[in-house]
Amino acid sequence: MTALDTAAPPRVSRVPGAGFPGRYLLGKLGLFVLTLWAAVTVNFALPRLMPGTPADAAVAKLSQNGPVSPATRAAIEAQLGVPDGNLLSQYVSYLHQVLTLDFGVSYTFYPQTVSSMVSQALPYTLVLVGAVTVLAFVLGTLIGVASAWKRGTWLDALPTLSGSFLSTFPYFWTALLLLFFLGYVLHWFPTTGAYSATTTPAFGLDFLGDALAHAALPAITILLTSLGGWILGMRNAMINTLGDDYVTFAEANGLRGRTVAIRYAARNAILPNLTGFGLSLGGVVGGSVLVEQVFGYPGIGYLLFNAVIGQDYPLMQALFLMITVSVLVANFLVDVLYGLLDPRTRK
Amino acid sequence: MQVRSQADPTIGADTMLINADKGNPLFDRNFNPYLTNKRTASTWIYEPLVLVNPLDGEQIPWLAESWELPGARTIDMTIRQARWSDGEEFTADDVKFTFDLFQANPSLDTKGAWQHLDSLEVQGDHVVFHLQTDDVPALAVLGVTCIVPRHLWRDVADPSTFRNENPVGTGPFVLGNYNPQQYSMDRNEDYWQAEKIEIAHLILPGTSNQLDTVTRGYDWSYSFISDVEGTWGAASEHNKFWFPPGGIIALVPNHTVAPFDDVDVRRGMSLALDRARIAQVASEGYMQPAGQTGLMLPNQQEWLNPDIPDQGMVAQDRDGALAAFAQSGWTLQGDKLVDAGGKQLGFALTSANGYTDWTRAAQEVQRQLGEIGLDVSLQLPQPAGYQSALGNGEFEVAIGGMGGGDVFRAFNDLMSSDFVTEVGKTTQANYERFSDDAVDDLLTAFKSSTDPAAQLRAAQALQQKVYDELPVIGLYYGGLWGLYNDAKFTGWPTEADPYMAPQNYDSAPLGIFTRLRLTGKGGAA
Repeated sequence: MTALDTAAPPRVSRVPGAGFPGRYLLGKLGLFVLTLWAAVTVNFALPRLMPGTPADAAVAKLSQNGPVSPATRAAIEAQLGVPDGNLLSQYVSYLHQVLTLDFGVSYTFYPQTVSSMVSQALPYTLVLVGAVTVLAFVLGTLIGVASAWKRGTWLDALPTLSGSFLSTFPYFWTALLLLFFLGYVLHWFPTTGAYSATTTPAFGLDFLGDALAHAALPAITILLTSLGGWILGMRNAMINTLGDDYVTFAEANGLRGRTVAIRYAARNAILPNLTGFGLSLGGVVGGSVLVEQVFGYPGIGYLLFNAVIGQDYPLMQALFLMITVSVLVANFLVDVLYGLLDPRTRK
Repeated sequence: MQVRSQADPTIGADTMLINADKGNPLFDRNFNPYLTNKRTASTWIYEPLVLVNPLDGEQIPWLAESWELPGARTIDMTIRQARWSDGEEFTADDVKFTFDLFQANPSLDTKGAWQHLDSLEVQGDHVVFHLQTDDVPALAVLGVTCIVPRHLWRDVADPSTFRNENPVGTGPFVLGNYNPQQYSMDRNEDYWQAEKIEIAHLILPGTSNQLDTVTRGYDWSYSFISDVEGTWGAASEHNKFWFPPGGIIALVPNHTVAPFDDVDVRRGMSLALDRARIAQVASEGYMQPAGQTGLMLPNQQEWLNPDIPDQGMVAQDRDGALAAFAQSGWTLQGDKLVDAGGKQLGFALTSANGYTDWTRAAQEVQRQLGEIGLDVSLQLPQPAGYQSALGNGEFEVAIGGMGGGDVFRAFNDLMSSDFVTEVGKTTQANYERFSDDAVDDLLTAFKSSTDPAAQLRAAQALQQKVYDELPVIGLYYGGLWGLYNDAKFTGWPTEADPYMAPQNYDSAPLGIFTRLRLTGKGGAA
């Protein structure tokens, strides 16, 4: 055992037998289940507090094209139905649906089932927002490390300034600017949809290239607006750790700069960013409503927007539940990970 | 910066790019013409018996070659010779099958055929409809029903959830390539009036935004765009538009709520308003102010009652308004209109959130009534909440749309006491809950006469009622927002030739497709 090893922070993940107390895990799990139940219940109540029935929403939509006859309304009511039974029996059948993952028939896409709509839209969002979230995190963290290490140089100033500048723009504003200039004025990228209307989705290079071109503008939007946060977060945490004694000690021992930056400073500084990453992964499913809306990207966000507009309870509930569950799961995993990485949080 | 329209060079000179169907987010392959979530083109694949022009109610023979009304309770239609796109012959049995389908599945009966129909029988190429009562306007309801093929639909297990992915119809087009973001239609070479269809293909992309509408080189679109000349119009020299009135936007006072049950209060509100200004503010000047007759002018000019002054236009007259309010005990004190107890006259004006033209109209009404001492507040629930408040009668005064091409139905939906329900129970028309025996008698007279002169008399008397009783207060016309490009196709309906409403939904496009002619110069630019 050398002096250097003791100078390094303890590798907590490898502390032998430090034991990951079952009680901690159990407590977190209990809290998770309780929160989940509360979320499911709120999810049940919220749409029912909104005024108007699904048929009202459908009629309101139709009436923008002119007066809707009573007969049309009656047929719409017959098609969509009106939520029946008292609240308790509705709640029980709702819980049953949640457990069996059967969310029934969508109102806005009648007679399609909710699950078929969701499974159509989910891949687009997962691939687009998921991949870009990972990319933004990796890129932003690396740039943050670099700019903290090269503090005071242009390598620090440029990403820090442009990052904080870009992240102050609202999401949809950036999206609209990109759409207008790169899409409509310069014609560099397609402006709407997930792939060209004349191609048929299939596995193959042609389709992949086409899909990538369509994903470009929304991806650039998400990347531009989220990169700054990762850069700044990592940079600031990194500057803190750089001032710590063990880093100074490592430097004094003559270790290479990159080794000190990555293995000593960055490894410890990344914890807060990791939390943020976990949470933003949880938010992937629901976090792209505006971007998908602007670019007509057929993902979960667009679906959610339509569900809310159409007062589509079954679809709304399924989507809200997916979003809630993914955020809760991400929270839970971050909690567990933290307990693993930092024993202090287990107290 | 001016955005110019960029035509897609791969779209041929005989192909129409039409902005008619919204996929949200993707198209659902649903061509059942009776479902709320049908693809727009399903009403061009399946045709009605009678094509009705939504502008003025004109009835054009379609799958029914002709019809007769032997009495006010019977309609006898002669069915045209035509073929389904799979080659089978279209017959009177298909017509009967379709109506039987509605009887068995009321959720498909979107036009309400069985509210009028008692029974129907097939006699050779005739279909005879027996009605429940003397009911001449039923022709318009039964006629607009889309007919589906018996030989395919009789095997459908549950027609009310049937998505009909491979439609077979009698219409001018058949489904071409289908993809969840865009589908195309090809000319039906066996169409019964194939010689009138010069469009070889239609392309319907899923659309998302108005920039897309302006820049993509559409031949036909339908949308209200702010500053239409500067956007749609400036994007191409061939881009044209026509916005005829398609309905009436009105103040709907709730007659079950005092003091709106008082005709003098309603008259006071009517006289206080400057409709030209409201129309200007609400529709950017594209729509005209509406008169107090219940008719859409000029579409329905032939029905107009000549005894009503100034075609029913009510000019702003503040003294007249104050006099009318005074009749029911509201007088001006300072700048407030108050009753004997000093309570100010006021109400909540309900409109739907997101209907921007209605909201602007509501704000203008609020301002103008405020100037003569009324205290008007705005309530803007979400559209579903608005619709529910309107149907249940849980509002004081609302903004609503009414009217339509069929004159009888417009007056019936506006004033028939058949629709009056108590507050809290949903009604589907006559939201203001107006009730008048004389009006009901006039509606019955209108409905039960086959004599055009008698119908006209009833319609004119009904206008007089609307003018005198003010069941609702007409503000301005709601527009049909037809946007078209005449580079590739000419013969579009216009103000000079209003043969069909310029809308690209429902059956109206059937009437337009048959009139469009190729210019031979491709490429809408």
